[in-house]
Amino acid sequence: MKRTASRLAYTVIVLFVSSIAVFYAIRLSGGDATAAALPGSATEEFREEFRDRLGLNEPIYQQYFTYMGRILSGDPGNSLTNNKALTDMLTEHGRNSLILGGTAFGLVFLVGIPLGILASLRRNSWADQGIMSLSTVAMAVPNFWLALLAVWLFASTLGWLPSAGCCGTKQLILPAVVLAFEGIALTVRMTRSAMIESQNSDYVRTLRAGGLSEWRITCKHVLRNALIPIISLAGLRIGQIVGYALIVETIFGWPGLGQVLVNAVLRRDYPVAQFFSLVLVALVVLGNWLADTGYTIANPRLRKST
Amino acid sequence: MTELDATRSSHAQAWDERVAAYENEARANPWRKKLREFNRNKLLFTGSVLGILIVGLGLIGPLIIGSDYAGQSLRNTHLPPLSEGYLLGTDQYGRDLLVRLCIGIRVSLFVAAAVTSMALVVGMALGMCGGFLGGAVDRAVRSVTDFIWGFPLILVAVLLAGGLGQGLFPVILAVGIVNVAAITRVVRGEVVVLRAREFVEAARACGISRFRIMWRHLLPNVMAPALVLASYYVAVAIIAEAGLSFIGLGAQPPLPSLGKMVADGRGFLRINHWESTVPGIGIAGLVLSVSLIGDGLRDVFDPQLRHEAKGVEKG
Repeated sequence: MKRTASRLAYTVIVLFVSSIAVFYAIRLSGGDATAAALPGSATEEFREEFRDRLGLNEPIYQQYFTYMGRILSGDPGNSLTNNKALTDMLTEHGRNSLILGGTAFGLVFLVGIPLGILASLRRNSWADQGIMSLSTVAMAVPNFWLALLAVWLFASTLGWLPSAGCCGTKQLILPAVVLAFEGIALTVRMTRSAMIESQNSDYVRTLRAGGLSEWRITCKHVLRNALIPIISLAGLRIGQIVGYALIVETIFGWPGLGQVLVNAVLRRDYPVAQFFSLVLVALVVLGNWLADTGYTIANPRLRKST
Repeated sequence: MTELDATRSSHAQAWDERVAAYENEARANPWRKKLREFNRNKLLFTGSVLGILIVGLGLIGPLIIGSDYAGQSLRNTHLPPLSEGYLLGTDQYGRDLLVRLCIGIRVSLFVAAAVTSMALVVGMALGMCGGFLGGAVDRAVRSVTDFIWGFPLILVAVLLAGGLGQGLFPVILAVGIVNVAAITRVVRGEVVVLRAREFVEAARACGISRFRIMWRHLLPNVMAPALVLASYYVAVAIIAEAGLSFIGLGAQPPLPSLGKMVADGRGFLRINHWESTVPGIGIAGLVLSVSLIGDGLRDVFDPQLRHEAKGVEKG
């Protein structure tokens, strides 16, 4: 209990510190915030007035508190380039991101765990060798290059799937698979080694000696013990997916949070960049916290100590 | 479960779990160890040959064929490889792909070198101070590294690019910061183990200053694991730079970066896919060679394996 509470406190502190870090990082460029919104011919006085209106001339710590207050009251402001309300953008693009990220997240476990189990049950067979070599390659290939190969093969050459766009099932397949690829490889490896570790442990030997069928041992005992840590750490995959989504969404033109953030950074649209950085950072911190909590629940030893 | 373990981030625990799982796997399967012995030199050899070829191409190539990476020739756009005068063909502006590939390799190598030297110097200094001095210094080092370690590299880089603008510098800084955290964590862990060893105690008993103990006695001992880890993070740096340049945040035109070249050629896959695949092969080759060298180095230097071989108890 104490551990859970202290982790919660730690998470809140991390959220607070990272919100300050994000705020300062993006505001470093505050000086030319006017460049995105105003035409090049705008006079210096007009720019100054514009900065005043946005509150960019106040001391930065004051800006931080004003800004956080506005976010908490549900009005983070508008985009500088197209004047859209950020909350509208969040719901619109957040939905797309949720579809893509959720599919990738599901793929990581629905594909990764069965493959890992298969590899561990048929250890050193051709299936195991194949799965393991593929996962080694998958972890070494940069995902944007993988995306490109996939587009070249499935879209340009074979013409089976569209190369980009939103938001039908057909358009979803390529980005979701590319986004999930490294996670799948990692899950396969973790599952396989956890299963093998579990199969070699003393209690399994005892069960075998007791005459339980191999099938029963695997399903009831080995699987359970091997999968609990993997599933309980699922939160860590959220962070990974958020990171890669920045690249994958941009490549496939999938209008999600990642693409919005990258475009905002490229166009120096700082309210958008700031708000969506905060959203993504909060997601990652939340994922880490979930993983930590899940891990604590799955490990009675951690629950008791400290 | 000590207090130390309990306060570490979930990320760190997940990582440790993975490492433990790999080690168990290696122990449970003696063939794997034999295979590693056999592969040891082969990995290093293949990786080095590939690496020397690519690095040589990047460093020496421009001296022979010139380094005019921005020169356009609008009559000769989208030429396939082996065209007259252009060994690897040209891109959408008729720029020589071979020259751009060479310069792109240079950019990748420059970023990797900058990031890795920053990560090694700062990471080792922080890790040794934290692990050896303990107390408040250690707590500060640990909380900062755990904080950074919790965020995905790409997100950190995009945030820094948001603040500092696009270009190679924010990329180097972002990848560097994350790699510093990675090296610090490992070096700190090593030093905490080393600190309790007899030779450190003996040095202390002789009245040697703490700084000198760190410099002369601990540094040589953490060098090997730090270098092995650094070789792995060279690959991470190359991939990250390419990925960030790909989405437009890294190297700015006309300076070629392998990732940016892949992105530029993306629109012309049907016309001349080599504009994308050539730099892509360059990235894959670089990453592969660095990973092979890293794996080879790990097999040679891995303290775990070495201790096992000599039958020495670890710690």
